[in-house]
Amino acid sequence: MNSLFVAAVINSTFRYSTPILFAALGSLYCTQCNVFNVALEGQMLAASFAAIVANYYTHSVLIASLAAVAAGMLVALLVAVFQITLGVRDMVVGTSVNLLVQSATSFLMQVIFGTRGTIQGNGMKALPKFSLKIGGLDFLNRMFESLSILDYLGYITAILIFIYLFKTVRGFHLRSVGISFEAAKSLGIKSEKVQFNSIIVSGVLCALGGLAQCMGIVTVFVENMTAGRGFIAMGAASMAGAHPIAAIFSSLFFGATISLSKTLQTYINSYFTESFPYFCTVIAMTIFGIIMMIRKKRALLSKAI
Amino acid sequence: MADTIQEIRKKKAIQNVLSPVIAILGGLILGAIIMLAVGTNPIYAYAQMFGKSFFTPYYLAQTLVRSAPIMLAGVAAAVAWRAGYINLGMQGQMCVGGLCATLVALYFPVKTPLTTVLCFIVGMAAGAIWALIPTFFDYKFNASLIITTLMLNYATNYITDYFVAYPIKDTAGDGMALQSPQIAEAMRFFRFSKKNAMNVSVFLAIAMVILVYFILKKTRFGYESKITGLNRNFASYGGIKSSKMMFMTMAFSGALCGFAACIEIFGARYRYVNAMFSSTSYAWTGLMAMLIAKYNPILTLVYSIFLAGLSIGGQALQRTVGLPMQISDIIQCCITLFVSVKIIIDFKHKQAPETLAAKGGKA
Repeated sequence: MNSLFVAAVINSTFRYSTPILFAALGSLYCTQCNVFNVALEGQMLAASFAAIVANYYTHSVLIASLAAVAAGMLVALLVAVFQITLGVRDMVVGTSVNLLVQSATSFLMQVIFGTRGTIQGNGMKALPKFSLKIGGLDFLNRMFESLSILDYLGYITAILIFIYLFKTVRGFHLRSVGISFEAAKSLGIKSEKVQFNSIIVSGVLCALGGLAQCMGIVTVFVENMTAGRGFIAMGAASMAGAHPIAAIFSSLFFGATISLSKTLQTYINSYFTESFPYFCTVIAMTIFGIIMMIRKKRALLSKAI
Repeated sequence: MADTIQEIRKKKAIQNVLSPVIAILGGLILGAIIMLAVGTNPIYAYAQMFGKSFFTPYYLAQTLVRSAPIMLAGVAAAVAWRAGYINLGMQGQMCVGGLCATLVALYFPVKTPLTTVLCFIVGMAAGAIWALIPTFFDYKFNASLIITTLMLNYATNYITDYFVAYPIKDTAGDGMALQSPQIAEAMRFFRFSKKNAMNVSVFLAIAMVILVYFILKKTRFGYESKITGLNRNFASYGGIKSSKMMFMTMAFSGALCGFAACIEIFGARYRYVNAMFSSTSYAWTGLMAMLIAKYNPILTLVYSIFLAGLSIGGQALQRTVGLPMQISDIIQCCITLFVSVKIIIDFKHKQAPETLAAKGGKA
């Protein structure tokens, strides 16, 4: 195994982790104000679909991106109205909306394009890509070769969200709603409004994730293409303890599992490699749980001493 | 203004019946709007849909056969959800249960109707074990049950599909079809006629649902699981062992999924087919039926038949009118959303007398 091969795997890790990172940021943004958003998957899928439809007709990356964000926000609005305004249980809203988007996209796909399965087009534009040139090192050049704007934007967004949540007054307000809904309300923070808006923000973030999914690596829409990424992102966010910077690393881990599963396809039967990221999520969540338990025990022990 | 308990109960009972009816009407109206938008006559479409799925013998048989695994998956979900354990892995548990039962059916040397019983036991045990794995991770290591059960759906799908693609692939028939060989004729369920798919599976499923209803309503386990769902701390304060409750509930749920998979294989398909539980979305439809029924097993049964009819009608509609069959899934999801909203309106109604009384006190 040569070093360039490793660099290529790292390169695809970056690409696969981007959708997960955006969705994880959306998830943790909601978690910070005590909203459990299960519809990440639906928000991503709707955005992917809207982006590809817009791309198909206009061949414009900008319009496709706007369409994606609009679709993500629309689904988020639906979730927010049901979950916050009407107070429906989060699991009920989440599962119904996920299924609704899944069936609505395949319905629209057949109505608009008359096909099932995939939407492809010759004229469709991918996201603009950059290659970072770092000196004469082949390894680093290969690592950062032709990553899309969103791959970089993901990390910047994570840092911005960190600053917003932990360093600004509005961020403190948002987190205070998460700590105590009623107490925040009694201090004049419009708790419901904060929660409502957080879902809309998660819609935008998931839309960017969906955009990275359908126009980042290859420009195509496949029926139900998110395939559980929204839930993997939820796992990434909970492993990160709802901290944006930590979410970068947990997303990179899940990106690595997907990247590895694609790489291993040449050596191992694809049925096994395809299931690899999902098993990894279960195992990672378990290991994370064990680590947290050990930490808790240690903290208790140190207190006792 | 204060209602007597009887009046409140009466109102609640009326609302419990009314709210799904209103939600279903709402869903159908929304579906009609979508149909109008894509240029289909909704009245004609609905007449075709329900006329076929409930009033044409061939399609009615299909509706009932389809409803059997749906109602079982729905009841399986209800068992877990009402105890507060969110099981989203019904599909994976069905896959594993179905595959294990098929393996026994194919390789057990004696092929008699009694072997079918063995297959069912194996299938249910496999489903239960598959549900217990994430439960163990959650109980022991706090790994979110929601995420792990859902992740295992995707993972098991690939693993079970691998079996029908390679080790137990049917080499006799169509070489392109990814499926296992057929199970022996002696082990299949009784079919009433050769013209349609109607078989005893739906009656078995209904019997099972009624059994679950009694277990939930009349046994200690049912009561304890309900209390655990209402308030976990109160339940453990009252002496209910939460760990035992969690494992028992999830195992029960998984076993029901295994049972659902078995009746589908022994009643309708006679073999394990590639993606037979993921592409048919039995588990998700069951989940929706259970949510509309608000965890009630008997109502889950009723709505399962309705939703099965909706999707069979949708499939028929795609063939005749060309309207994509996903329309029935869209309607189904909307119904679920509307039903859950109704709960909240009920809640506000209940609060109304209180505020009135407070005002009266001031004056």
